Formats: sequence, structure tokens, C-alpha cells
Amino acid sequence: MRFYLSTLAGHRRGVLVLLGWSMLEGIPAFFGGRLVGTAVDKGFAAGNPLAGVLWLLSFAALAVVGALGQRQVFARLGAVVEPMRDALVTRIVRGVLSDPTHRRTPDASAVAMITRHVEVVRDATAGVLVQARALLVTTVAALIGIATTAAALIWLVVLPIVAALVLFGLLLPSLAKRQRDAVMADERTAEASGAVLTGLRDVAACDASAEAYRDVARQVDQQARATVTVAWANALRATVIAIGGFAPIALLVAFAPPLVASGQLTTGAVLAAVVYLTNSVNPALHGLARTTSTVVMRLMVALKRLQEAAPRTDGAIGAETPANGEFVLRDVTFGWSPDAEPVLRGLSLDLRPGDHLAVVGPSGIGKSTMASLLTGLMPPGNGSVLFGGAPVDQVTPAVRHHAIALIPQETYLFTGTVRENLTLLAPRATDEDLVEAAKKVGATPLLDRLGGLGAKLGHGGEGLSAGEAQLLALARVFVTSASVVILDEATSHLDPAAEARVERAFAQREGILVVIAHRLSSALRANRVLVMDGGKPLLGTHEHLLKTSALYGQLMLAWDPTHREETPLPKR
Amino acid sequence: MAKPGDVLLFSVVRRDHRPWFLLLNAAVATTGGLLLPAALAGAVDMALSGEFVLFTVVWLLLLAATEIVGDAIGIVLAATITSRATAWLRRELSRKLLSLGHPSPFAAGDAVSRVTGDCGNAGGIAVTLITLLVTAVSSVGAVVALALLDWRLAVVFAVSVPLAMLLVRTHMQLTADDVLAYQEVSGDVSARLLDAVSGRRTIAAAGIAGHETERVLRPLPRLAAAGAGMWRTQAKMMWRAGLLLPAVEVAVLVTAGFGVMEGRLTPGDVLAALGYAALGMGVVGQIPQLTALERTRASATRIAEVLGTEVPARPAVLPGAGVLELREVTVGTALRDVTLSIPAGSFAAVVGRSGSGKSTLAAVLGGLSAVDSGTVRRDGAIGYAFERPALLGTTIGRSIGYGTDSDEIQVRDAAVAAQVHDVLIRLPQGYETPLADAPLSGGEVQRIGLARAIIRDPEVLVLDDATASLDTVTEAKVDKALTTALPGRTRVVVTHRPATAARADVVVWLDDGRVRGTGTHRELWEHEDYRAVFTGGE
Repeated sequence: MRFYLSTLAGHRRGVLVLLGWSMLEGIPAFFGGRLVGTAVDKGFAAGNPLAGVLWLLSFAALAVVGALGQRQVFARLGAVVEPMRDALVTRIVRGVLSDPTHRRTPDASAVAMITRHVEVVRDATAGVLVQARALLVTTVAALIGIATTAAALIWLVVLPIVAALVLFGLLLPSLAKRQRDAVMADERTAEASGAVLTGLRDVAACDASAEAYRDVARQVDQQARATVTVAWANALRATVIAIGGFAPIALLVAFAPPLVASGQLTTGAVLAAVVYLTNSVNPALHGLARTTSTVVMRLMVALKRLQEAAPRTDGAIGAETPANGEFVLRDVTFGWSPDAEPVLRGLSLDLRPGDHLAVVGPSGIGKSTMASLLTGLMPPGNGSVLFGGAPVDQVTPAVRHHAIALIPQETYLFTGTVRENLTLLAPRATDEDLVEAAKKVGATPLLDRLGGLGAKLGHGGEGLSAGEAQLLALARVFVTSASVVILDEATSHLDPAAEARVERAFAQREGILVVIAHRLSSALRANRVLVMDGGKPLLGTHEHLLKTSALYGQLMLAWDPTHREETPLPKR
Repeated sequence: MAKPGDVLLFSVVRRDHRPWFLLLNAAVATTGGLLLPAALAGAVDMALSGEFVLFTVVWLLLLAATEIVGDAIGIVLAATITSRATAWLRRELSRKLLSLGHPSPFAAGDAVSRVTGDCGNAGGIAVTLITLLVTAVSSVGAVVALALLDWRLAVVFAVSVPLAMLLVRTHMQLTADDVLAYQEVSGDVSARLLDAVSGRRTIAAAGIAGHETERVLRPLPRLAAAGAGMWRTQAKMMWRAGLLLPAVEVAVLVTAGFGVMEGRLTPGDVLAALGYAALGMGVVGQIPQLTALERTRASATRIAEVLGTEVPARPAVLPGAGVLELREVTVGTALRDVTLSIPAGSFAAVVGRSGSGKSTLAAVLGGLSAVDSGTVRRDGAIGYAFERPALLGTTIGRSIGYGTDSDEIQVRDAAVAAQVHDVLIRLPQGYETPLADAPLSGGEVQRIGLARAIIRDPEVLVLDDATASLDTVTEAKVDKALTTALPGRTRVVVTHRPATAARADVVVWLDDGRVRGTGTHRELWEHEDYRAVFTGGE
């Protein structure tokens, strides 16, 4: 909410201009009733048609001014609402992409939800700016108008309106709750359909379209019910407002006869009061009821949801400079929470340029944690991860990102040319560099198939197999000047031959190579192996570990249980 | 101009009887609303006469109450109609998308936005139409009422009607393009965000969040331009509407003023004339509804596009022991002229370099994908497991039994066989843990995917690299358990591992979409190229 207001405040000029123009809009509301009353009193009723017509023409002139104001308001609405939406989208996208926790990665449905909420905020802001502003200007102008024409009746007018507004205010909390429930139901619908539609392959494979349909339909129906519940609350508040708006008119005609009889009120004054009420105050009140209950509620819920989707990230930025390109890990322990079994326990390790380390161990043991610790994405729970003598998470981000490159299992490809995708981390790389890098990692046939560097890729690497996408991600890092490269199962979708080629290519680069191994063959190519098995990590060469570690022996045995000589372990 | 979605909208309106109630309610409320200005005029004249007449005031209150209660009922009815229609569209669309199966011609994000966004828009059709109709009727009623007061009033007013119609028509054409452009660009931004979110680890590790934010937001200026276009159109409309209404009002007031002077009308009638003029111009106030109608039609077209997509023919599963036969099967460029036969109960491994068509072959063998040409003969039920399964269903337990009516014990047995039971009982609520709250690694998800295949007790198991994230120890255990739990089943295993290929009865070696060779691992090992698939030609 604060962000929203500050963004709006950022367009203060635009908002002020908007408000300025709406003053213009209020002019007919202020003079309208009075002019109509005067036209009858001094013109038509007094037998002077010329005066009557002139008064009405001045009413018309004011209306033109008001319409001009309204036109300006709408034309300038875009200047406030669109930049506000842009700022909101920018903040959300940046928040989502910079969220360091990685625990809640939004999926397709969450992204769809974000889009929807942003639209709600846009429409609602416009709605509030149009309606609430018009309401304020018109009501105030009209009430002043009544006070100056029919002062004797002002309380009959003001009291019911105030009473209705107070009652409306009291109804708001329950209205807000129902509105929130409806929005939640909306989101659950998006979640359910998102899960099923992104997992269509699995639905088909499980022959489960009936169950998938049931899951979606349940949420859809609940959402429909929640909408109707909101409607009941809305109907109640509409009734309150309508009674509040009509009561002054009824009271006015009921109490006016004695005042007219005694000469305190002229025909024109009564007419003016009724015109003010029917033409200005009533429409404005109805507008208020619509705006507050639906638009403002939706606006607030949407803003809250957006804030949750993109939490503000303000991690301290380190400013340490590494002295060299070496890693020193001392007694590193890391667990996801103080109670959970640590993923890493008491790891000490030195990595120097030229080192090639393979990290092996059973699935789900947390090998990727090593990658996150080395890249400084997470600080260790205990112990230290030093890069060039400085804690790696405290190293100046620009230096760290330049020196250390991570290729995760899940590939990032975006819509654009192959060239754009490959130069993501090395914007200054030439086409020759890119072609050379592609050749080194074995992506040349892929490049040829796609049609060269200028070929366009669709969203999410559409049309590429997972292995092909990984090849592009590998070439992208190969072309950088990173001195530390961490392959976190980055070759999992490649066949063993392609994997071997990639690892050899990276090993031939200067610097440190860490391979979070997907296959044990990676261990055979490394000059040191780190075995992670939940306990204290084991570190050594392949030969040393074969002799000393039962687990390692077992891992290697399982890799080739047949012991056929036709399928030998790749030689070092 | 008719759009493909219009037929769909028509059927949406027709399938519920409630719109008739809404129409009836609107008829009553509108009648009340049409009588109200006259009653108000009577009440004002009464007030001006300086004499209180109870009947006049009660009549006014009665009409006002009719209108207020009618509006309240209308709100609830409208919400009911819209939400039911939306729910129906969402159900139909989901059913259709599910029956289109895999691979879907509609990208996941796009499909979700059709289900959530477009159905919501299109569901409002009945209410939008009725609102427009009621406004039209009450406008006509207002003209009649004016004529009853003084025919001159009606004539003056009628002159303004063509102007209003002109206004409405130009608006329809102006907004459609901007609305469509806005929706398209908005979808593009979403797709870009989804791309970036999938690659979030890369982005975080490289510290390029700022850069990538810019990339995602690159289409924003176009979005803002389309948005600004919509506002400009609105502004033009409001300006014309803002001028038209007072112009008509003044014209009517002047006419009424002369009526008062000549004794044809009372001062109260001036108010009535003003009220009817406003009512008559109500059409102009419905401009936002016209935008909504345009959006509704665009959305309905997007829904109709899905509903009109033909479901590819998928042969029914024949009962049998699990024989798989392909004859000259071609699928795009992924598979070319593949002919092979896998006897019941045998274990076939599919090997080949990345991108050689292994997954496509597995999908064809399992009947998941349709083929472009050639014949597929299969029998026996299929159990599938994938490298990256999408877990579905409400709870972890349900995700294993997904699509079956298996009980807790069967779920547990399958989990035990897939070596994942020990993981699942340690989750916050065990098997009852909601899927969204279960922190699972890739390997764990893979094993749950295996359990999901096992529980179906199929004649044929298709494992598409389904143990790729498992280390070799776990994989060997899973393999042994699979043989014990499901003995004698036909097994098609896509693999990168020589050990797995060595265990297979027959290896299908794919190269560039063609079968390069079939035989045992030992036989094929003679080929240098075959060895290169595993060893990289060392």
C-alpha cells in the first residue's frame, strides 16, 4: 500500500493536474440547480422568457466548461495510471527476480495471477481517480449550492446523507472480508487450473483427466459461490446508499409546504434543491458506493497479494575485494533450519586455479547447496567460505559475478536471438567467440540446425529439447571470462558422450571447475572428488576414495553392476 | 461484424433461466424508475402549493422503494448469473484443454490465462446485454413519458438521439484495436516473466536480475501506448457525452420553461422533464458497458478458439499382455520411418544422443503422442514415469494415486517400491501433506513419479529417463524394486546409462530420429558409434 501511494505521489504533478481539471468539472454541479431555479423564478414563471432562456444558456455554458474539465481528466488519466502500472510491474518483476530465497518460485499460474492483479490495480486506480474525485467535487459543490439557495432545508438534506455514510462505513469490514474471500477463491482457481494445465503431459500419462477436471471444477464452483456471497453484501450497501440518497428528496417535499406557504421558500429554491439532489448528489453517492466497496477493496487485496508475490529485498551488499582466485572453505556447516539435519557438516576444502572437483553423492542429499555456498547465494551457517581471502557472500557483487559462474540444471532461455541468449553473461563477446564456445561444448550441430546466431528462440526455449537448451547454457558460460565455473548437474540432459566433451572443454579452461555430478563418470574425470552422504564429507582422489571409502566403492559398483568388460568405466 | 466467439456467447446466455428473472426484475425496477420523475414532479408541485398531501408522498416513496429493492435484487441476480456462466465456461474450457491432452496446441501460461481471465470476461455477457437492453428500453420509455408531458419535449429530445447513436458506433470501432493490442502485449510480458522465473537460479548466480528485469519489461512502452490509446478514446467519448447531455438538458428545459409560461406545464413538470431527459440519455452512460462488450467478445473468441480445436484421435487401450509394434512411424522431424516390435514382457532400452528422438519414441510407444504417419499397434495399460514429473492432486498421497481410485495401502506400497516411502513419512503431515507445502528435491519428485506409475499396475511401463536424477545406488534399488513389484511387464526405458542398457533384453539405438540399430547391448557394443553414445568416443 505504501509503495502504491508513494508511486502515486511520484506522479504528484499528474494527480494535481487531474484535481485541477476536476475543479472545472465541479462548476456546473455548483451552479446547476441555482441557475435552473433562477431561470424559472425570474424568467418563465415571471413571464420573462428571454431572461429564462439566458439563464439556461449560462447553465449550458457552464456545462461546456465542466465537460471540458472531464475530458481533460480522462485524457490525463493515462498519464497517471499507465506510468503507475509500469512502475508497479517493474517493481514486481524486479522483486520476483531478485528474491534471494528461491523457496517459492512462482509458476505459470502465479505469473498469471500477478498479471491479473496488476490489471486490477490499474483499473481500480483509474476508477478511484474518476469516481472518488468526481464524488467529492460534485457532492461538496452541490451541498454548498443547496446551502446558498435553500438554507432552511440544509439539515434535512445533510443528516440522512451523513447517516447513510456512517452506516455504510460500519458495513465495510464485513464487505471487505467477503471480498477478500472471493479474491482468495479466485487465486485458488488460478492455482488449480495452473497446476493441471502446466502438467497436461502427466495428466494424459496418468489417464487422469477426470480427476484433474474434478480438482479444477471444485475450485471453480467455490469461486462462483464466493462471488455471489459478495453480491449479497453489495446489495445491502447499495440499499443503504440509495435510501440515504433518496431520503433528503422525500423529506424535502414533505417539509417544504409550510415553508412555501409562509413565503420562506420560493418556487425556484425548491426546484434548485431538488435539481441539486437528483442531478448531482444522488449520482455521486451511488458512485461512491460502487467505488469503495468493489474497486477499492479489490485494489487493496490486489496490492497486498502483489506485495507477497514480490517481497522487498534489501540484503546488505558486500564490498570486499578478493585478493586472488582461490577458494578456502573451513569447517563449513549448513542446514535449512536450526532443527533440520545439516546438509553439509564440517567441510574444509581448498580450491586453486587448475583444480577440477567433482561432488558426488545420493539424490536429494543437498549437493546443490555446495553450488549456492560457492557462488555466495547463501552464507554458510557456521564456518567460512573465503574467496581470495574474503567471505564470498561479502565480495562486491560485480566482482563476484564476473569471477564465478554457475550453470544450474534448469536452463534459462528467453525469447530473442540465439546471439542474445549466448551473450547474456558476456555482452562484449564477438560472433567468433560465440561460435568458438559453441564448438567447444559441442553445440555446433545445434547452432547449424537452428540456423546460426541470428536464429530466433521462442519463449522458454520452445522447440529445443532439454539437452539442447543445456548446451546453449553451457556455451553461454564458456564464452565468459569467469575463473570459477560450477556445473550444477548442468549436463543432466546430455548423453554421456556430450557430457564428457563439455567437462573436458571446461577443464581445459584456466581456473577452477566444480562439477556437481549427475553421473559418476564425472568423478573419474576430476582430479579430486567430494563425496556427500549426509555425514562428514569425504574428500580425495578417485583412487584414494576407492581404497578408503566403502560408500564410494558402492557408488562405483552400482554404476556398473554387470562388471562387463564391454562397458568399462571411462578411463581418466 | 460477427466474431467466432459470438456463437459461444449466445449459448452461454441460453443455458441459464436466471437471465429471465433478471429481465423481469429489471422490468419492474425500470417501470418504477420511469414513473419516479412524474411522481417527483407531483410531489414538488404539492410542496409548492403549500399543502401536504399524504397520497402524493406515499406514492413517491413506494416508487422509490420499488426501484431501490429492484436494484438490490438485480445486484445479486447479476452476480449469480455471471458467476454461474463463468464457472460453466471454465469447466467446459478445462474439460476441452484436458481432452486435447499432450502436447497441447496452447502454451500452459496462455491456457491458464484463458481459463482465469477470458472466462471471467465472457461470463458477464448476459448481464452486459441485459443492462444494455434495459437502458435502451428505459430510454424509449423516457421519450414516451416526455411526449405524454408535452409533445414538444419529445420532439426536442428525439433530435439528440441520432447524435447519441453516432457516438456509440464510432466508439465500438475505436477501442477494439487498442483492447486487443493491450491484451497481447500483456500476455507477452507474462510469458517473458515466466521465462525469467524458470531461470531464476541462473539470474541470481550471475547477478543480472536488473538486466533481466529490463528484458522482461521491454514490451512495456507498447503496453503503455495501447493503454494511453484506450484512455484517449475514453476522453473523447466523455467529452462528447459531457457536451451532449447538457445540450439536450438545456433544450428540454427551455421547451419546458415556455410550457410553464404558457400554463401547459407546472414547475414540477420541469423537474420531470429534466429527469426523463437524463433517463433517455442513459444509453450514453453505458459507454463503459460497450467497452466491456468488446472485451467480452474478444475473450469469447479466445475461448471459442480452444473449444473449436479438434481433439487428435487417440486409439483406445486394448486389453492385452503389452505388445508394442510400430510400422514406418513418422512424427515431425523427431522420428522418421521407425519400425520396431517389442514383445510382451520384454525389457527394451532406448538409447541415443541428446535430441535423437528418444522421448518422442517413448511418447509414441505409450500412446501419449499422435503420429503423423505410419501405424502403431499397442495393447495393455501403460504406466508412465518421466524425468521431471509434474505432481498433481491435492496431497502427496493423492499425487501417487492420481487418476486411480487406489486406497492408502496401495499408495504406501507403491511408495515403498519406488524407494520414496521413507522420505514421505518425514513430511510435515506425511502422505496427507498438501502438495504445495511439500519441500521435495528433483530426485524425490522423480521417485514419486515412479510410484505413480507403479500403482497403476500396468502391462507396459514407459520410463522416460525417469531415474536420471537418482544417483546410481538409488537407481539400482529402484530398478530391483520395480522388477519385484511388477514382474514380467513390458518395459521401455529411455536411458543414458550403459548399465541400464546392458540389463535390457533389447536396445533400440536411435540416431537423428531413425533407428540406427536394435539388438542386445553386447551386440551393439561392436559399433564404434554406439560406444560413442556412452563414452564420448574416448
